Amino acid sequence: MARSFRLYEKKRGNRRTGSRKLGSAGEAVFFAALLLLGCGGLAVLFATWVVPEWRANHQFARGICTVLETQVGEKQGDDGALYRPEVQIEYEIDGVTYGVSTYDIHTVRGGGYGTEREDAEAMRRRFREGDQYIVYYDPSDPYVAVVIWGSSWPVWLSMIVPVSFVLIGGGGLVYSVSTWGKSAERRAAIVKRAAQLDPFSGNGASKPDFPHVPVSTNITDSPGTKLAFRLPVAGSPAWALSAWLVACLLWNGLVSAFVVIVIGGFLEGSPDWLLAIFTLPFVLIGIGLIAFFLRQLLVTTGIGPTLVEISDQPLQPGRRYRLFLSQTGRLKLNRLELLLVCDEGATFCHGTDARTETRRVCEQPLFRRDDVEVAGGVPFQTECELAVPAGAMHSFQSGHNEVTWRILVKGSPARWPDFERSFPVIVCPSVNGKSDR
Amino acid sequence: MNEPMVTIRFDGNGRAYQPGETLSGEYRLESIRREDVKAVELSVLWHTDGKGDEDLAVHDFRRLSAEDGDWIDARSPGRFSTVLPKSPLSYQGVIVKLRWCVRVRVFLARDREVVGELPFQLGGVPAARAQES
Repeated sequence: MARSFRLYEKKRGNRRTGSRKLGSAGEAVFFAALLLLGCGGLAVLFATWVVPEWRANHQFARGICTVLETQVGEKQGDDGALYRPEVQIEYEIDGVTYGVSTYDIHTVRGGGYGTEREDAEAMRRRFREGDQYIVYYDPSDPYVAVVIWGSSWPVWLSMIVPVSFVLIGGGGLVYSVSTWGKSAERRAAIVKRAAQLDPFSGNGASKPDFPHVPVSTNITDSPGTKLAFRLPVAGSPAWALSAWLVACLLWNGLVSAFVVIVIGGFLEGSPDWLLAIFTLPFVLIGIGLIAFFLRQLLVTTGIGPTLVEISDQPLQPGRRYRLFLSQTGRLKLNRLELLLVCDEGATFCHGTDARTETRRVCEQPLFRRDDVEVAGGVPFQTECELAVPAGAMHSFQSGHNEVTWRILVKGSPARWPDFERSFPVIVCPSVNGKSDR
Repeated sequence: MNEPMVTIRFDGNGRAYQPGETLSGEYRLESIRREDVKAVELSVLWHTDGKGDEDLAVHDFRRLSAEDGDWIDARSPGRFSTVLPKSPLSYQGVIVKLRWCVRVRVFLARDREVVGELPFQLGGVPAARAQES
């Protein structure tokens, strides 16, 4: 059915069918606004900070001045009083005596204020009344003079914000313009062609023979000791542990500031009950984080490494493979099992959040043993067979959707929390494309 | 006058193909005047459907554009032929579904578009079922 430009279109089922052109135009306007904002911010920063600083550092002439008086200047800001050092100096250029109140180039331009009076005092104390110091003055206007020069790092740090606006806005605008009026298929064709031209695409997401099947180089580059390949473990426990430690420290560090205030109030006899009640849930969450971290620490350090080797890679539906499992540590396991699992993963936008949902579509037990004793220095070792279900979907990965296959090692140690370790494998389509049933 | 539309037909009226096989067929532009056609895009593509945001990739893409001097004859059928890739295979998962199709998009005067689409099955992966957790 012929479709012309529409401002608003119907939503059919879970598919959005709004006006693509209006969407692209809105996108372009958004990125253009970001770009303009970034450029404007950069221009203001350059005009008010960078150029004056550069001129003071490179174009000002050098002379000698005498400090007449020092003081801390004060003005009222939106959030309270602001302070800056002010140095009254006198200097002579070509027989003419000049007197100004100055410090650095920002003071000269009416700025240079900070919230801490002590900082301004410390800066003021660097100059003693009656002593002589070097002054840098503007040859075209000798009344513009500074006794402190150099580059201040906040100027360059503050550029991060407008520069990121320029990069995001500029990049987005180029993308919007280059894809303007192009169909989804044409855009996909451009992306495909660009990926083929990319010299670094050798380690990309697809193998040329099997498009959109993840490449298996990191899975096959480690030889095994018993079987052909040693499988890498997904998500190193040490990284997970570090992440929990950081989360624990950050959360409890912040909460402890409130706890100190609450306890201080109680000790002084003027308890702030409202703050105490407000802080309590956060303290409980902090305790929970500590408990979880300790549990993870126990699992990571108490249970030794798990090693899984496989006779061949990548896998194919309907084929059989050998698996070797080695579990080290010093522990008694109520149960140890090996599973082959296949999960679907879908990432979708929900409001402004990106959410990922997974659903298990295959779970095949490979090995299970109850009451396993792992003695120190003598790992528990076993071999078993893995049969990839005939007709199974191959591993698949695209921007928002994926099908992943993994070997799962699940253990249930006596008196310790259960553990689960995951070893990704790649399943390629059968050579004949059929399901090998 | 009838609504403009695109009809697509596979040779042998096939709907299921294996990787490496040749997919061929033709498309017809119906109730469309030649002078109204600005461009025609033919794509052999897959797209996802289901819980996740849609992903789309083209296996074969051809564009005929009157602006670029291509001759577009709305009265005679256009032919296409392509060797199908080894992956990804069609898949009817629980939250991930992967569908192959031939899509013809015709760009008409006054910013109008006509789209015709014919799905087909690549490979023989049976539908998945969710596992009890």
